[in-house]
Amino acid sequence: MRNLRRITQGIFFLIFLFLFLQTESKGRDELGYPVKIWLDFDPLIFMSTLLSSHSVTTGLFLALIVIGVTIFMGRIFCGWICPLGTLHTMIGSLRKKPPVTVRHNWYRIKYYILLIILASSLFTAQLAGIMDPISLLIRSLSLSIYPLVNYITRAFFDTVYNLHLPGIVPVSEFFYTLSKKTFLSFNQPYFFQGIFTGFLFLVILGLNLMERRFWCKYLCPLGALLGILSRYSLLNRSISDGCTSCGVCDTICSGGAVIDKDGTWRSAECLYCMDCDDLCPHNAVNFGFTARKNAASLNLGRRNVITSVLAGIFIVPFLRIRPLSGSGYFKRKLIRPPGSLNEREFLKKCVRCGECMKVCITNGLQPTLFDAGMEGIWTPKLVPRIGYCEYRCTLCGQVCPTGAIRRLTMKEKEGTKIGVAMIDKGRCLPYAYGKPCLVCEEVCPTPKKSIWLESVQVRDRDGNDMMIKQPKVDINRCVGCGICEAFCPVKGEPAIYVISTNESRSADNKLLLD
Amino acid sequence: MVYREETYTDRDVPYTNCSEHNHPVSMNIPSKGFSMNRRDFIKTSFIAGLSVSIPINLDLLIGNLHASENVDIAVVQGSSPAMITTAAVNALGGINRFISQGDIVVVKPNIGWDRTPEQAANTNPEVVSTIVKLCYEAGAKTVKVFDRPVNDPRRCYKQSGIADAVRDVGADVSYVDKRKFKKVKLEGLALKEWPLYTEILEADKVINVPIAKTHGLATLTLGMKNWMGVMGGWRGRIHQRLDKSLVDIAKVIKPTFTVLDAVRILTDNGPQGGSLLDVRLLNTVIAGTDQVAIDSFGATLFGLTGADLGYVRIGDQAGLGVMDLSRLKIKKIMM
Repeated sequence: MRNLRRITQGIFFLIFLFLFLQTESKGRDELGYPVKIWLDFDPLIFMSTLLSSHSVTTGLFLALIVIGVTIFMGRIFCGWICPLGTLHTMIGSLRKKPPVTVRHNWYRIKYYILLIILASSLFTAQLAGIMDPISLLIRSLSLSIYPLVNYITRAFFDTVYNLHLPGIVPVSEFFYTLSKKTFLSFNQPYFFQGIFTGFLFLVILGLNLMERRFWCKYLCPLGALLGILSRYSLLNRSISDGCTSCGVCDTICSGGAVIDKDGTWRSAECLYCMDCDDLCPHNAVNFGFTARKNAASLNLGRRNVITSVLAGIFIVPFLRIRPLSGSGYFKRKLIRPPGSLNEREFLKKCVRCGECMKVCITNGLQPTLFDAGMEGIWTPKLVPRIGYCEYRCTLCGQVCPTGAIRRLTMKEKEGTKIGVAMIDKGRCLPYAYGKPCLVCEEVCPTPKKSIWLESVQVRDRDGNDMMIKQPKVDINRCVGCGICEAFCPVKGEPAIYVISTNESRSADNKLLLD
Repeated sequence: MVYREETYTDRDVPYTNCSEHNHPVSMNIPSKGFSMNRRDFIKTSFIAGLSVSIPINLDLLIGNLHASENVDIAVVQGSSPAMITTAAVNALGGINRFISQGDIVVVKPNIGWDRTPEQAANTNPEVVSTIVKLCYEAGAKTVKVFDRPVNDPRRCYKQSGIADAVRDVGADVSYVDKRKFKKVKLEGLALKEWPLYTEILEADKVINVPIAKTHGLATLTLGMKNWMGVMGGWRGRIHQRLDKSLVDIAKVIKPTFTVLDAVRILTDNGPQGGSLLDVRLLNTVIAGTDQVAIDSFGATLFGLTGADLGYVRIGDQAGLGVMDLSRLKIKKIMM
């Protein structure tokens, strides 16, 4: 059974990686594959989004399937399907010594985390995505690990290419092209907080070297949720009379479900990895469908439960007492993706999974740290200097699992404003230096350009008159895509830049009297 | 099918017989009607009557006969982009005049923008694929097609329809590889040096296939401006001395010939447009060997002259080509 479980883990992991790699534009406006489907199946995301925003996207109803399966068969998701769990299993197998199970009560921590998450989402804060395993995995890969892999690969092949060694370069180029066809991204991705998110991820994976499936046993809130759901599952572990209380199953249990020598089994902790079934020297362990439960109960401690719930509830007002929650203060650099809901609703839905940032074709969507307040950590914002918003592209809304970014039609997208461009006349070449430029006007994508030109007579240093075209923004038309800022030759601090004012999604962040 | 041929002398008549849209166009394009005298009428109807009774393949024979007259610019109008492109190349002497067996050819279209063919921001895919096909028919070893776009390359290549169209006829389509830019000494009027794409410098033959559009700074973007697609680095800076820079680059890249796509032209909000109201269907293709002359003629499509375009004037002064259309042999064909 173990081998069947391993193969299944492998297959699901490869499916996950495949869909991850497909979260990239190939030129069409649609992606060929259902890349966010892992998040759609995630019950924790489903529940917290439902609680915080009182609505879910249709895709998320797939989570009910996982809920149903868990009710009947326990945490087989954790043992057989979860890609992060598979990673933990792989890294944990590097640890040769069996785990020393002194951490008897640590299993409760994940339940407290779950309660904090659910309680705070009941009070409209969406914190699930920070620790949800699928969201965490996608985010860590998108922001850190994948860019890292890309960088290393490109650096290697570019170095070989630049050495110009005859005979070697064609071979390396062949492998480079192969890499590009298989796993390399089209452009090298660059993200803020790459070190931070990568570090957290590597620590979480590294914990497996301390104890196998540390995260799954002690920290994973989805595991906790599935654990609660699995309390009355029909797939149960039974011990036959051949058991001699040797304790092997206790030693090797990856879920920490077998707690002592007589084989008492905590069903909510069992990951159904089947290791004890296969490795019991007396073949006394069996997994099968039985109606009656033979399991230890979930003992969380009433006081701890209440503390967790209260913590979850009180986090919310703490997060909301910052000026961004008021009605007059807007962060001019908090440019949200097109199709985003207004900020309040956005923060209720965004699970910080990083899908939008991964798919953004110009690499313009970047994770915030404090720009949206602490509550907004790792939510996406557009940094036009890094990447502008491609006028006819709607990919971010297509991959958002919760609808924090709505999926837009092409027509809606062309009419959606995410901000407005402003010209700094002290830096703009035609204004400040009498030099022709107009790159901004050239690249402005709206059918009737949002930058128009005025021919003005200026004088140069020697006193000669000359005519020069100066750009002006038409703030009724400008959609704030940022391509002007991205291409402005005044590097560093561009002479034209986008601010979030006038974004369509906000009733208050308005500039113009319509 | 009416086969009509006209030798261009000293009349400056813009070729505007075809306009599908009855709307006010912001570029002032005068639309002169075509007036005939009796001699022209007799000549035209004789040829018309003759060609009606002549089977199709003889038209090509007639085309090739006329090609031996050493034409500078061929202007062909017709409803099929593929046919008018072929006819334009034939009018210049046929593809074999330019492409030899075993050549490595670069066909450089305009794939600059994330726009569909109807929006007339990129070269018509059928025009480009016809050129590629002709090159292979002439025995080219490889025909490479690429451009360094402004918008995301994947979207530009796909949405323009060019990548798919040329792949179907066997072109080697590639995205621009940043490593293949090499600093080239230009010692020009505006630029000392600039990184240029090595694949175009190393090719045996280069064919420029731009599209005719308006442009905020350059006034019009035609053939010479299309070379910005093989420039590396931060290209926007050349806007500060645009006209001279374009001449500097065009001098280094010596295209074998240019095919200016005017099947659709963008008459406002160029160079990327977006609104179909700014597009004019002219169903025309213009081919020639002189870059400056092509741009000078292209200006007439918009009601301007070559002298209105800085880079055409400067190119003429620098000896890169001829701006004065009256000194050139221009052949117009209507299919």
